[in-house]
Amino acid sequence: MTPRLPARFALATPLVLAVSITATAHHNMSAIFDFNDRVTVSGTLTKIDWRNPHIEFLVDTKSASGDAETWKYEGPAPFFFRERSVGKPDFEVAIGKPVKVEASRARDGSRWGLLRQITLPGDKVVSACPQNC
Amino acid sequence: MKRDIIALSTAAALATVLLFVPMLSHGQESDADKAKAAKAAAKAKNIARALEENSRQLTLFDRQGKVIKVVGERAIYNQPSISPDLTRIAVIRQDLENETADLWVISIETGAGTKLTKSKSREPVRSPVWAPDSAWVAFAAQRDSYDGIYRVKADGSGTEELLYKLPGAGTVPTDWSLDGKYINYYVSQLGDNILYALPLEGDRKPVVVARSQSEIVAARLSPDSRFLGYRSNETGRNEVWVRAFDPANPDAPARKWQISDQGGLGMVWWRRDGRELYYFAADRGIMAVSVSTSPTLEFGKPKLLFKAPNTIPNGPNAAPGNLGSVSRDGERIVFSLPPAPRLQQLTMFDRTGKVVRTIGEPAQIGQPAFSPDGKKLAFVRNNIEAGNANIWTVDLENGKETQITNDSFPHNNPTWSPDGKHIAYQSNRGTYTSIYWRSSDGGPEEMLFRYTPGAGLGLTDFTPDGQHVLFDGGAILMAARLEGADPIARKAIEMSREEYEVGFGRVSPDGRYISYGSTESNNRIEIFIRPFDLAKAALADEGKVQATKDGPGGGNIWRNDGKEVFYARSEPGSEEVELKSVEVTPGPAVQVSEPKLLFKLRDVAGGNTKFISPDGQRFVFAIRQPAR
Repeated sequence: MTPRLPARFALATPLVLAVSITATAHHNMSAIFDFNDRVTVSGTLTKIDWRNPHIEFLVDTKSASGDAETWKYEGPAPFFFRERSVGKPDFEVAIGKPVKVEASRARDGSRWGLLRQITLPGDKVVSACPQNC
Repeated sequence: MKRDIIALSTAAALATVLLFVPMLSHGQESDADKAKAAKAAAKAKNIARALEENSRQLTLFDRQGKVIKVVGERAIYNQPSISPDLTRIAVIRQDLENETADLWVISIETGAGTKLTKSKSREPVRSPVWAPDSAWVAFAAQRDSYDGIYRVKADGSGTEELLYKLPGAGTVPTDWSLDGKYINYYVSQLGDNILYALPLEGDRKPVVVARSQSEIVAARLSPDSRFLGYRSNETGRNEVWVRAFDPANPDAPARKWQISDQGGLGMVWWRRDGRELYYFAADRGIMAVSVSTSPTLEFGKPKLLFKAPNTIPNGPNAAPGNLGSVSRDGERIVFSLPPAPRLQQLTMFDRTGKVVRTIGEPAQIGQPAFSPDGKKLAFVRNNIEAGNANIWTVDLENGKETQITNDSFPHNNPTWSPDGKHIAYQSNRGTYTSIYWRSSDGGPEEMLFRYTPGAGLGLTDFTPDGQHVLFDGGAILMAARLEGADPIARKAIEMSREEYEVGFGRVSPDGRYISYGSTESNNRIEIFIRPFDLAKAALADEGKVQATKDGPGGGNIWRNDGKEVFYARSEPGSEEVELKSVEVTPGPAVQVSEPKLLFKLRDVAGGNTKFISPDGQRFVFAIRQPAR
């Protein structure tokens, strides 16, 4: 029920003046994604949108029957990654290359997921937890 | 006495830091070393202050509300739980230095504490539950990206043992069955509220105990597993319920009883013999309900044992269960008692920082906002007894106060409409955060805009023509046009959606510019001023100017002639706030002056409201008063 309140961008001042721009959730994650339905997809990263309130990216893969399909993923806010020394360039250099994505699938059953973890080329693992877990 | 020890410890820590810094400066200290030392000193000061204001005292009460024992040292404790053998308290203790939260067990007799877990930052431990033999404590924790239920020996020997790796999130262990065979836990997600029993033997496959479309928070089975006590909001208000439970058919419709009738916040605790249950009421009452099973099942009328001290938060949405619990025998209640909250005094300053006057009495108060004519203030006042926060106004000429909102919903960022006839505010209600307004003399509430379900927003301004509201949403600058009769049909306009964070948008009085905070230049929030299309609520592509370079912490308020923008800032870790301003010269390419320091202040509480008078001559802050 409670909106997930993820990464907070805050100035390093403790004062109660308004000192933060909060990258809050843009919608109710648990209403849209089923945290108990996890899917892992290996494919090619084709596109990223590195903007607030959350990043998005596309991965092309093939289904079990060999059909081409595209998965869309939603991740935390850019600040979440910045705080963990991960940036847009880490994802940009992976475009066109193989990645493995573990995500919570959308409740509507579409090929849409909430990122839990992505393995970039070079086995660089980027986790979106605890924000998305 | 304990409080004195903490105060001394705090003072000693500060003295150590303050002594340490000058000692270093006698050597060949580099700028980097100085910066590091200053940062460490600031962090130590912040921690000392946070401890002073927030550290809690574990306190044991009997059923009549008499203090039996003050246990251990003050610290930031949550979720205390008395061991079944009544000798210890399991509790989550925060470590501000390392930014962790770990499980401790504190001896009731000696106050000595044993730390049972060693967590990393961002992997807090939560929700301890005792094994019936008091030998183990189970808890939930996030470890390496996964939620898990763990147990650890209560005497501190051995290491934590993973009992179950969870596929979901937001898991809360609630109880350890009296036969020691199960740990109950619930997972609460939208439309997916499930109570599980985790078997500690065999394949450890969780069993669904109960499932509900409404919340079933803090659910606990009776000792004989025939009844389930829980808190639910199914009537629209949090109340405590009990329902029959058939383990062979847990999802079957079952008879249920509403136990509380004046608001029940949970948790529900059953006495070991099942003949009494307990819960926290919405008015700080600790309630006991007798349970008889012969000749038929009956629940007695809730009986007040005593009222918790008034530093325990209350109100219909409070969570006192985070700060207290009842022992298995129903004879002891433990609270992690917060200190008395500090009050604030609304205080008016001139441009030199001289106090002009105080306004009203000290209270839990904040977010002062000047009316467009500068004659009134809107502000938020927290009613400590009722546990709610409502918007009030005060007439600065005669001191008359008017209550604008009067309900238990949260209300934030009071913002006057440009004509001064209404006060808008944001309020979170269930799944939605919306913008509402009321007339400035109080009056019925009207929704102006409702945002996407689950998404937060922060109201920042009206456009000067009153046609749009501006707000922050997910680090995006947003607006909504106040058109049509149906507020739910009004759409959000994304004015600026970037890789970096933007927010606090405020339009100049003539509507030609917008000032806002952005992290684009140096990863700190700086104020930018940019041409603005009033009709479309759109930012112009050209003409953007960075107005500050010293990392403002708040403010971003226009003077009513549009020629000055104010802001507040402070050094990281400093308690001192600097009030500064830049002069603005309108034109096709707007120009701003170098920032000018007006004055400095300490002990400031506030909010990102328009706390500066429209003519730029008066500044109102909620100044924190000494601890009581």
